[in-house]
Amino acid sequence: MRTRIIGLGNTILRDDGVGIHAVRELRARIPKPRLEGEAEIIESEVAGFALMELMSGADRVILVDAIQFHDLQPGTVVQIDPGDLRTSLRLRSVHEIDLPTVLALGRRLGLTMPDEILVFGIQAEDALSFGETLTPPAARGMAEAVELVLHRIFET
Amino acid sequence: MKKLRELFYCAHFIHSHIAHFYALAAPDFVVGPDADPAKRNILGIVEKVGVPVASEVLKHRAIAQDIQIMISGRSTHPVWTLPGGVSKGITEDQRKEIVEKAKSCVEFARFSLKLFEDVVLKNQAYLDLVLSDTYEMDTYYLGTVDENNRVNFYHGDHRVVDQKGREVFRYKDHQYLEYIAEHVETYSYLKFPFLKKIGWKGLVDGPESGVYQAAPLARLNAADGMATPLAQAEYEKMYETLGGKPAKKTLATHWARLVELLYAAERMQELAEDPEVATTHLRNLPTAVPEEGVGIVEAPRGILTHHYRTDKNGLVTEANLIVGTTNNHAPISMAIKRAAQRIIQPGKEIGQGMLNMVEMAFRIYDPCFSCATHSLPGEMPLVVEVKNSDGEVIRRESRA
Repeated sequence: MRTRIIGLGNTILRDDGVGIHAVRELRARIPKPRLEGEAEIIESEVAGFALMELMSGADRVILVDAIQFHDLQPGTVVQIDPGDLRTSLRLRSVHEIDLPTVLALGRRLGLTMPDEILVFGIQAEDALSFGETLTPPAARGMAEAVELVLHRIFET
Repeated sequence: MKKLRELFYCAHFIHSHIAHFYALAAPDFVVGPDADPAKRNILGIVEKVGVPVASEVLKHRAIAQDIQIMISGRSTHPVWTLPGGVSKGITEDQRKEIVEKAKSCVEFARFSLKLFEDVVLKNQAYLDLVLSDTYEMDTYYLGTVDENNRVNFYHGDHRVVDQKGREVFRYKDHQYLEYIAEHVETYSYLKFPFLKKIGWKGLVDGPESGVYQAAPLARLNAADGMATPLAQAEYEKMYETLGGKPAKKTLATHWARLVELLYAAERMQELAEDPEVATTHLRNLPTAVPEEGVGIVEAPRGILTHHYRTDKNGLVTEANLIVGTTNNHAPISMAIKRAAQRIIQPGKEIGQGMLNMVEMAFRIYDPCFSCATHSLPGEMPLVVEVKNSDGEVIRRESRA
């Protein structure tokens, strides 16, 4: 199974970039032979249509992104159902092209969309300030998310 | 180097206008304003126009973003511009590739205008909607123009015309504070820009009110034409249908958006065909630390003003930004109210279709403020209150 791990975010807005920091850590942790054979890692800031193009062609996609749910402590990691409209800003979409719509659109257009999509959200503490470092809670959440993704990749 | 920056900017306009029209505006017309919300979206568009057309939409949006990536390294949040220039140029091969892609974008823009004609203008019900007074406003209009008063997204004078299309003001970047002021209301963090020399008279239109519009239709109203031939022909056709200039029927903003799409594509081709755009001279090094600077361009949804003051080390001490949609805060407020007052009538059930038609007044300018500010929830909560003559709320409909 070919897995595409996509870290989403903006690395100059502190915790908003946690998805990208996570996949960079994954790139360092996954043995090169496995990376070349089974998985690829992409860093991206896109949403909507561009995300559809990014996901097409893979058997399984793992998305990692910052979230800002009302009821979570910063650093909490949740696995979100792709159909859950609470998702992250990029996956919920600023322009009504949310993740479920993107998946449906891709399939409707005849693109090969992944059979399996896993979404890991890391609750941000600060996704509005300019900065290139994560807050301590987001850094802890990132580390936890990395372990979860590694577990999912190597268990299947 | 200026040509390279403008080339990049044309590509930005193309991807943005394609997404705004097809994903956000077109569903109301192609699928219908009363259609089930589950179908009034891009998927509904695909059902109506077919997969090949939908694929062309996505293909050309991707082409525009590919050009942005080729020029600046990234399509979103490019880190390519520097004080005095840019950090990298394009090769001669890339220039030629952009020429071919631009030609495809020109054809796609022409197709989009034809689609608008076939789906909207030839549908009497939609044409009546566009020409109705439900979506009408009589404000001033602001847009950036070149030395021949033609629309320019990148550089030029900023021109204000009145309700009869007469130029009333014209200013350069550094003069904006003499012409634009911002009114504050306690119920909103978002200010209401208005024409300073006319004055703030509240959320009203007309020549005595300083309210102005700055969206695509306003840009075309404020100009005397388009700088490229195909777009100019479409500009003339549009105003002939709308009954002359300035056009006050705000739903026609979507039409103007497509005229601008065509201009952006033609201009992109023009710039790419110029060998100078593959320049190796990428930067004029600053020779002093600035203390103050104002930069103004046209953003897809309205004029964009950035004003900075710095200390002796060049660090920013003050900043004022008036972004595209902010310019239109007053018109948006007025447009929604007007639409609600005209659509919601005694004895008529207020359903999703009606709420959508109120929201359409907002969507002329931007998908929503969440979209303009890139904050959650990313959709528009909508509340409609119907009051009796004593001001008591007798009915309340809401969504989200």
